[in-house]
Order: sequence, then C-alpha cells, then structure tokens
Amino acid sequence: MSATLTIAKEEWRYWRRSNLALAVVAVFIVILISVSWLTALRMHAESHERAHHQADSDQTFHSQPDRHPHRMVHYGHYVFRAPMPLAVFDPGLDSVTGQTLFLEGHRQNSATFSASGSSADLGGLSWLTPALIYQVFAPLLIIVLGHGAVTRERESRALAPLLAQGLTGRTLLAGKMLALLLFVLLLLVPLVVSALISLGSGESLLAAASLVGVYLVYLSVWAGLALLISSILHKRSSVLATLAACWLALTLVLPAVAVNVSSYTAPLAGKIEMELTMLTEVRDLSDGHDVDDSVYDRVHASLLEEHGVDRVEDLEVNIRGVLAGMAEAKLTETLNVYAERRMEAEMRQADLLGGYGWLTPALAVAVASRTLSGTDLDHYHRFLRQAEEFRFGFVQGLNRAHAEELSYIDDINRSRDEESWMRARVDASNWQVVDEFRYEPAGASVRLASAGSSISMLIAWLAVLSGMLVWTGGRLKP
Amino acid sequence: MKTDSSAKLQADQLHIYRSGKEVLSGISFTVEGSEVYALLGGNGAGKSTTLLSFLGFLAPSGGSLSVDGVDVGTDLKAVREAIAYLPESASLYEHLNAYENLRYFLQLAGVPDDKAAIEAALDRVSLDPESRGRKLKDYSKGMRQKVAIALAILRDTDILLLDEPTSGLDPNAIDEFHDLVRGLADSGKTILMVTHDVYGACQVADRIGLLRGGKLVGEFSAPEGGRIETETVHRAFSNRTTRKEQAA
Repeated sequence: MSATLTIAKEEWRYWRRSNLALAVVAVFIVILISVSWLTALRMHAESHERAHHQADSDQTFHSQPDRHPHRMVHYGHYVFRAPMPLAVFDPGLDSVTGQTLFLEGHRQNSATFSASGSSADLGGLSWLTPALIYQVFAPLLIIVLGHGAVTRERESRALAPLLAQGLTGRTLLAGKMLALLLFVLLLLVPLVVSALISLGSGESLLAAASLVGVYLVYLSVWAGLALLISSILHKRSSVLATLAACWLALTLVLPAVAVNVSSYTAPLAGKIEMELTMLTEVRDLSDGHDVDDSVYDRVHASLLEEHGVDRVEDLEVNIRGVLAGMAEAKLTETLNVYAERRMEAEMRQADLLGGYGWLTPALAVAVASRTLSGTDLDHYHRFLRQAEEFRFGFVQGLNRAHAEELSYIDDINRSRDEESWMRARVDASNWQVVDEFRYEPAGASVRLASAGSSISMLIAWLAVLSGMLVWTGGRLKP
Repeated sequence: MKTDSSAKLQADQLHIYRSGKEVLSGISFTVEGSEVYALLGGNGAGKSTTLLSFLGFLAPSGGSLSVDGVDVGTDLKAVREAIAYLPESASLYEHLNAYENLRYFLQLAGVPDDKAAIEAALDRVSLDPESRGRKLKDYSKGMRQKVAIALAILRDTDILLLDEPTSGLDPNAIDEFHDLVRGLADSGKTILMVTHDVYGACQVADRIGLLRGGKLVGEFSAPEGGRIETETVHRAFSNRTTRKEQAA
C-alpha cells in the first residue's frame, strides 16, 4: 500500500474514532437530507401547481364564447414557467424572480411570483436550499475535519518522527488531501442523488454531471485551503481561527460586498424612471384603437390602392384589425427595445458580480451552480423573451381574425343595437391561436459554456492552492 | 570537511541560527558505532537543536554534519532512513493502540508488517501484553516511551537519536529505560541522546559532551568497563569549577 493511501486511511480512522467529527457529520447529513427532501417536495408541488394552472388558463381561454376578437386581446392569458429539474437542488433566482406572466395586448407585464405559502414548509427557512448548504455550510464541515490534519501531528509531536523516518512533507500532504477528497466525495452523495433524480425529470447528463463536478472542485478548494493553513500554522486554535475568518470572508462578507459594489458600479435605472421614459415614447406612437388617427393616412391610401377601391368599407379586410396589428407591432418593437435594454443592464451587473468569483470561490460556485441548473438570470430572461414572443404571436393572431373574419361595417356598428352587438363577433375556434406555452431552457452545452468563466475561476483557485500545497509540502517542518 | 570514516555521527564546526540568534557556535563531536553519546546541557544549551540538525530540519549556517559518512545536506533521504528519532515525550497517536501505532509508522517507513516481530519488539521493551491492545491515551509516559523504543527496534536502524528520553519518567521506568538503551548499544546500535539528567547520562553513556550556551565546553569518557563519574560531570555541569576559577 502506498504511503499516501496509508496516511489517508489513518486520517479516516482518526475521524471515525472522533466523537466530535462523527457528531458534526451526522448533524450535517441530517440537515442536508431534510433540506433536500423538503426542497424536492416544494419544487415538485410548484411544478404540478404551475402545470395545473397553465392547463387551467389554456382551457379558460379556449372555452370563451364567440365574441369580438379585440375583447380577447384584452382578456389576456397566463403563462407559467415550469421549474427546471435541477431546481430541486438549486432554485437559484427562481425565488426572487417571477414565474408567472399575464399576457395581454399593448402591454408587457412584469412577471409575478408564485404563491408564498410554500415557504411555510421549512418553518420560515425556505431560503435554505441544498445548494446553499453545499456553498456555505459544507466548507465549515471540511474545516472542522481538516483543520487538524497537519497541526494535530505537530501538536502530538508525531510530525517530527514521521518526517525523520524518511516520509516527505509532500507525501504527507498528499495523503491528508486524499483523505479530505474522499470525504468530499462522500459529501457529494446527496447531490449525486439529486442529479440522478433530475435525469429522470428530463435533465441532461451533461448538465447534471457538470453540476456535480463543479461542487467537487469547489469543496476540493476548501479541502486544499484547510490543509494549507493546517500545514503552515503551528497551533490548532490559530488554524481554526484563521479558517473561520476565511470562511466568514469568502462565503458571507465578500459575496455581500461584491453584490453592493456591482450594484454601485453598474446601477440599473429605477423601474418607475424607466417606465416613465418608455410611456413618453409609447404615447408618441399611433393608437391602434383610433382608425382616424392621422398617422394612418398613408396606410389608408396604400390599402385602398392595393385593393382597387375608394372607401374603407369596400376593402376585403377590416381596416380596424389591420391597423390594430400594425400598431401592436410598432408598440411591441418599442417595448422590446426597453425590455432588452433593461435585461442587458441586468446582465452587465450579473457579469460584473460573477467576476468577483476570482476573489471568492463561493461566488464562483453560486454562479456556476445556478447557470448549470437553469435558474440564473439568463434563464429568467429567456422566459421573459419566450413569453413575449408568445404574447405577440397570439395578439397578432387575434388581430388577424379581427381583420379577416369580422366585417368593418359590423365592427363600427357594434354599439348601435343588440343585433349589431351580436354580429360583431368571431367564432370561438379563433381562440385556438393561443397554443400551449412551453418554456424552453437553454441546452446543457449552452449552460456549460455560460458557466465556463465561473468554472475557470474555481479551477484556478484549486490550481493555485495545489501549487501552494506542493510548495509548502517541500518545506514542511515539525 | 574532515570526515572520520568510523564515526556514525559527526558534527564539525557546526553553527546554527534560529530566529536570528546563534544557538550552536561551532561545536564539533563524533559518535562512534555501538556507542551511547549523551549531550548534556541545561535549557537552551542547544541540545535539541543539535538533534534536529542531524535530521535535516535545521540547516547549518556553518560547518557540516554527516550520518554514517553521508553529508546531511546532500542526501537527506538516506540520512533519515538510517536514523530512528524519539522526540521528547513519546510522539505517537493516542487514538490508536500499540499495535496500530507500530503498524502505521512501519508501513510509512516501508517495513513489512510482521506480527511476530512486533510482539517480539514489545516483549523486548517489556510492555505488558495486556495493555498492548489499549489505546495510548490510557498509557503512562513510560509505557508510551516503550512503544516508541519498540518502533526504533522494529525499524532496525543503526542510529537512534533520543531527545530527553527520561524526562517525566518515574525512577523505575528510568532504570528500565537505561537498561534498554544499554542493551541496544550492546547489540550494535549507535545512540545519541540529549538530556539534562546528569545521573542518567552517567549511568548509560559511554561518552558525555557538555553543552553550554551553544558551545561544547567539555567531554567525558567512561573508563574501560566502568561508568563516568557522576560527581565530576555534575561539577562541570553546574559550573562550580569555573566559579572557583573566577573566584581565584
């Protein structure tokens, strides 16, 4: 058996015989399994709830009776974002971004949140997710087990005879690191189970395996850091204090500072300020409801010429539907400019925040984790874009029905009497323009590429720490 | 460098600095094969520093060290493989029993696991068979010291470096330990021990080097078939002669 393996086995034997180590591991495992189970239940419930609401919303829209198509434009429709399979592990931004959109003509509504009642299932601790436990609390466990790896040898004066009998410092550190890495693999078992479950829910093997790999690198960074400090400092109390300070700085303080600095250096325009600017621009556009608006004069003329008639009443299409479609297209173009501008600004801020992963691996793993899980800002934007495309599609479908299936005469006379009112409507089969909304997340390879920079940061952290361990191992003294 | 080809351990004009302070100021001595050499000195005299230098843990700023003819600075691996080192207060694992401790250290030293040899070594150091399966946290200091010596026996190195080996032991344990050390030397082992125990050094050592303030201020050899006279060494150790000289 190699010396490295012998040292690793001995380290495990020490942990197995340490009541403190066993107690800490047991508590961690209980918390992790509980949180994983509750998060899975919550996501499962939300997934079913959203699917149910989506089907309900589709059915409600389709079952509307014959009516004026523009009433259906304003009747609107709800779409829901189904949670990603890996959201059972890392819900990411899902809890702070909306999952539901009310789609209607002439407006781009903000996404709204899912029911907050689900937070009660963790006794107010719904913010605690398996991912957060791995990102914040698993390093603590590694510190508890790893802080004494070398210092314990020093304090028990076993380091000197070990080195004195020809064992090199590098071999000793390699054995200790191997023990910690085996422990990290053990810690990853619940994550692997979550990843396997996500495969059953349609997640790709690439994304699930990459997520496990990312956490393997992240926890290895902490193992390396614990071992490095343990091999440099001579007193266990000093090692523990230093590692506790590192944990506090890297997992709590620096990420919070990074968020504040990113918000300050890449500020977002306030929602009210942005909407006022947008409304000013929108007001300058034509009103699709007003067929006599002067901006449509040229459209009138070109339509009459195209159809070879002198009056709008003689057109084969209902000019009110045509103009509604044109106005919606123009309005949507303007709304999209503002939406894209806002999303670009949000992405700039998110990218800036992600860059701080060079300073703290906790931030790098958080970004990589939610990117691979499909619960990051980019996926929220994908939902908004897909929902907007869906909204525009069904509104224009209704405008087409307005133009092609409802006569202009019936349309303008609809308020004259009951009979006219009944004539100014189209068949309910037109409501089928609202198709089933299916949110399409990015493919696994796209997510992996997006997480590339954060993964590079984690690998760089591990490479630097490995280099420092090799250097320290060559100079290890009792 | 002057190398005495018969010397197992040799320090020649050794200078060592620790934290900017000169701890050893040009000491020279040799330890021959099958010899017990005791470096005697008070606290801070540089005794442990000398041992750590032979192990390559401290680099000399001047002079040289050799182990079995090999310069410590040139082939540290060979030097360490030739030495068994017992630090002050036996350094073993409290959560392991005697067998587990020995097996672990021997595995790392590349010595084959031989149950009979382990039992024989523990018999040789007279460790009570009933206590061998107990964890070392329940051992007395003397019992731990016996396990550490058993390890040295099992590693079968020619040279043993012992740092304050009798510190904290009761008189019976000290006597037992001295018998053990003498037996090892008689079986061909070379032993360099550092101690501040004048009586113990005189009981067991063939030669004693007196270290004071980082300098070797005297050497005493045992007469053929006899022991070094305790009173002479004690006087030199407590510097009485020097005081008399100063008074004169």
